[in-house]
Amino acid sequence: MTDVPYETGHDHNVQGHDVHEPHEGLPGTIGHVSSWKSLVKVLGALLVLTVITVAVAQVDLGRMNIVGALGIACVKASIVALWFMHLRYDKRFNFWILVCSLAFVAWMVGYILMDSAIYQHNITEYRKDHPLTVKPIESDGHGHE
Amino acid sequence: MHFDTLHQQYSTGKLAMWLFLGQELLFFCGLFTAYAVYRGNHQEMFHYAHYFLDWKLGGLNTVVLLTSSLTAAWSVRCAQLEQRKGLLITLALTFLCAGAFMVVKYFEYSHKLHIGAVWGSNFGVATADLPPALLEKYPNMTGEQLQSMGMGTFFAIYFCMTGLHGIHVLVGMGLYAWLFVRALRGSFNRRYYGAVDNVALYWHIVDMIWIFLFPLLYLIG
Amino acid sequence: MAGGIVEKPASGEVIHPKVHYLNASKGLKSWLVTLDHKRIAIMYLVAVSVALLLGGFWAVLLRTELLGPRDMILSNDWYNRAFTLHGAVMVFLFIIPGIPASLGNFILPMQLGAKDLALPRVNLMSWYLYVIGLVFFLAVLFLGGLDTGWTLYPPYSSGRDIQWNLILSYSAVFILGFSSILTGLNFIATMHKLRPKGMSMYHMPLFLWALYATSLIQVLATPVVGLTLGLSLVEHMFKIGIFLPQYGGDPVMYQHFFWFYSHPAVYIMVLPAMGVQSEVIATFSRKHVFGYKAIGWSSIAIAAIGFIVWGHHMFVSGQSPTAGIIFSLLTFFVAIPSAIKVFNWVATLYKGSIDFKSPMIYALSFIYLFGIGGLTGLFLASIATNVHLHDTYFIIAHFHMVMVGSVLTAFLGGVHYWWPKMTGRMYNETLGRIAAVMVFIGFNVTFMPQFVAGTRGMPRRYANYLDEFTIFHQISTIGAYILGAAVVLQAGYLIHSLFKGKKAPPNPWGAASLEWQSTSPPDFHNFTEKPIVMGAYDFENWELVSEDAGYRLKREVVETGKSLSKVH
Repeated sequence: MTDVPYETGHDHNVQGHDVHEPHEGLPGTIGHVSSWKSLVKVLGALLVLTVITVAVAQVDLGRMNIVGALGIACVKASIVALWFMHLRYDKRFNFWILVCSLAFVAWMVGYILMDSAIYQHNITEYRKDHPLTVKPIESDGHGHE
Repeated sequence: MHFDTLHQQYSTGKLAMWLFLGQELLFFCGLFTAYAVYRGNHQEMFHYAHYFLDWKLGGLNTVVLLTSSLTAAWSVRCAQLEQRKGLLITLALTFLCAGAFMVVKYFEYSHKLHIGAVWGSNFGVATADLPPALLEKYPNMTGEQLQSMGMGTFFAIYFCMTGLHGIHVLVGMGLYAWLFVRALRGSFNRRYYGAVDNVALYWHIVDMIWIFLFPLLYLIG
Repeated sequence: MAGGIVEKPASGEVIHPKVHYLNASKGLKSWLVTLDHKRIAIMYLVAVSVALLLGGFWAVLLRTELLGPRDMILSNDWYNRAFTLHGAVMVFLFIIPGIPASLGNFILPMQLGAKDLALPRVNLMSWYLYVIGLVFFLAVLFLGGLDTGWTLYPPYSSGRDIQWNLILSYSAVFILGFSSILTGLNFIATMHKLRPKGMSMYHMPLFLWALYATSLIQVLATPVVGLTLGLSLVEHMFKIGIFLPQYGGDPVMYQHFFWFYSHPAVYIMVLPAMGVQSEVIATFSRKHVFGYKAIGWSSIAIAAIGFIVWGHHMFVSGQSPTAGIIFSLLTFFVAIPSAIKVFNWVATLYKGSIDFKSPMIYALSFIYLFGIGGLTGLFLASIATNVHLHDTYFIIAHFHMVMVGSVLTAFLGGVHYWWPKMTGRMYNETLGRIAAVMVFIGFNVTFMPQFVAGTRGMPRRYANYLDEFTIFHQISTIGAYILGAAVVLQAGYLIHSLFKGKKAPPNPWGAASLEWQSTSPPDFHNFTEKPIVMGAYDFENWELVSEDAGYRLKREVVETGKSLSKVH
């Protein structure tokens, strides 16, 4: 590791943008240095949004409650990703990894939710005649051998 | 060493970490799906279930975790600027916040286990311990009846989600302890701090999951 | 810039390295703590071969039991255990990690001209996780086996009284999943960050494109099965009621979760096989691969589409009809990129100078078996036919053709193709060809009758059957024996070659990707001198010296350091 020259290493396989020059910090620093003021501001924003979430939850808005709560959570998560996790200053490819994962999350949640909503009435009707009875573990009659 | 430059090494580690975080999201995704499905099926029980949870404790934990995210991000800055003392302080603070989170969690869990607000068929809260809002609508309700209406399912999901998240917090504490020891030895400098950065990324994802868990579990309208 | 060993004098004399990665350090410990991707790959190769033999052993037992319509050698309980362990071992321990973790691990950094994978420690860790999974499955075997079917559907699995073999199986799959994820992210990071100057994504060999697509699935799908089986483990122990209906859970959701991984997992299996296929077909046709970009992007397309078709495993499982229709439609889309690949391979053969070496025979069998497996998949994708054929031998034959037919032939083909590079020895070509033909014949004899038996109503997972199916089962069993014999033959001549085989030249086949510019076996650092970066299919840069000395780079290429090809 000692034979590496002091200058910022040149990454010859950059996907997306190259790293931003640090506007603060020592010569040769790798990566973007966040100012402490910006970090504190981010925490402030997150705390304010937390208070708003709690406040909104005390009011009964019907279906809008969940929309509001998730909306605020998404904003908070984006703030964490963009500033705390440096995605604003990072290589674009890392950003796309996150987006891609979230797309698959959305697809999985959405599809299974849709499917179970459609077949749920089968279970509900079945349960009318066969109510769920409480079975403590000890009397579990489904053992195999 | 199989990298040409330290920069290449740093960005490789970071790319791998982001891929790992991508899989973390998919890992939690199943539980969020289960939550969504069962919340849709048992809307009423999920609503009443949130009275068993104390939003003040949940809110406190949110604040604790958000603060630890700040100290985690700050530790990266300290490592980049080679502020050794600052690095040690921020790493220790992050570790302590994570510990505080787990202590609050411990009190929440032990209370629920105590009154019997647990998963599946083991759900058996005495009528006296039921939340007033629930008794207002259903007087004389027993734990068994609630269980058959889906209350046990809520607590199965509650314990799985917070439990899995808690395991991640514990792993994070281990990682921060490890970073602290390495920082004490002076392993990090402005051109070699990938471990601090990547653990912080992991820690932010743990925080991010909690940002969703808090309203979904504690604040159901 | 010099080209290393291949630049030897015109006499064609080949220098065999005295010190290489296999003997650079000695002792068991030097292997167990190695960070060298080549040694880890060899350890993987040994481990997956053990898994293959274990899974194959169960297959032979199953087929022997089915020789007659009544009980032959296994009790009904043991029959259930045999098919469960056959499925679980073959899927989780052989086909999924088989090609990427062994061949991929060895070849990927070398095709990039790199010294190692991006994260060597993570690589070693994933091998250890794999071995823990393997040991767990062996423990299950000694604890009385597992009879839930490899899919571990609740309530028949987690709903029972607590038993160790289930706990170990869930943990094993969880751990194996973790191993797979680590391999995947390591591969992606390597391909992004360790490519040499002058090699863009479009210059990478197609094997690497295939591994890239595979790794994407490994990273994005495997965690879901990890969570599912982790939840099942918790549910098995505490009966929490997420999947178990008797506690208020939804077993259909388990199937959704399970297939969200396990369908893409089919592409984790088959994509690396397709990658091997592209290399072998181009090399032994001595022709630049036809439709490079189409093959590369169709790998990515298969990976992406693989995520949106999982519901076709659930047409008769209580999934809603709406979901069934959508999944049926989406499933047909997988045929497009698959067909693009087959078309391009056949077009690569066209007017090529085809050399029927053993790997090529495997590659041609692949096209045939994958073709049949893929086309019968279309029948199964349409709901009406599927309801009729579901859980019959038609399904068995289909997925064995498409998964095993392609993966096993590509795995064996790849092992033969890279054997000289990995071990520095040539195997017996005649025996290699005989074994390859036996695999092809054995496969068809085993599974063709199963298609017929399936359409006539022979259900899967039954130890006893109606007399009218006897003939199909007997033919099928004979095929399985031929396959088994072929595997034994291969093990024999491959192990023999390690000790008595001819020493291999650096490039026996005239292949053009970078790994062939190193010595056979490679140096500890892979290349003693930086390889000349050139197109993976620029065969015109190589000239034949002699049968024994293989191919060498042409003098102009060595002198200028540039490819002679005009294709890229």
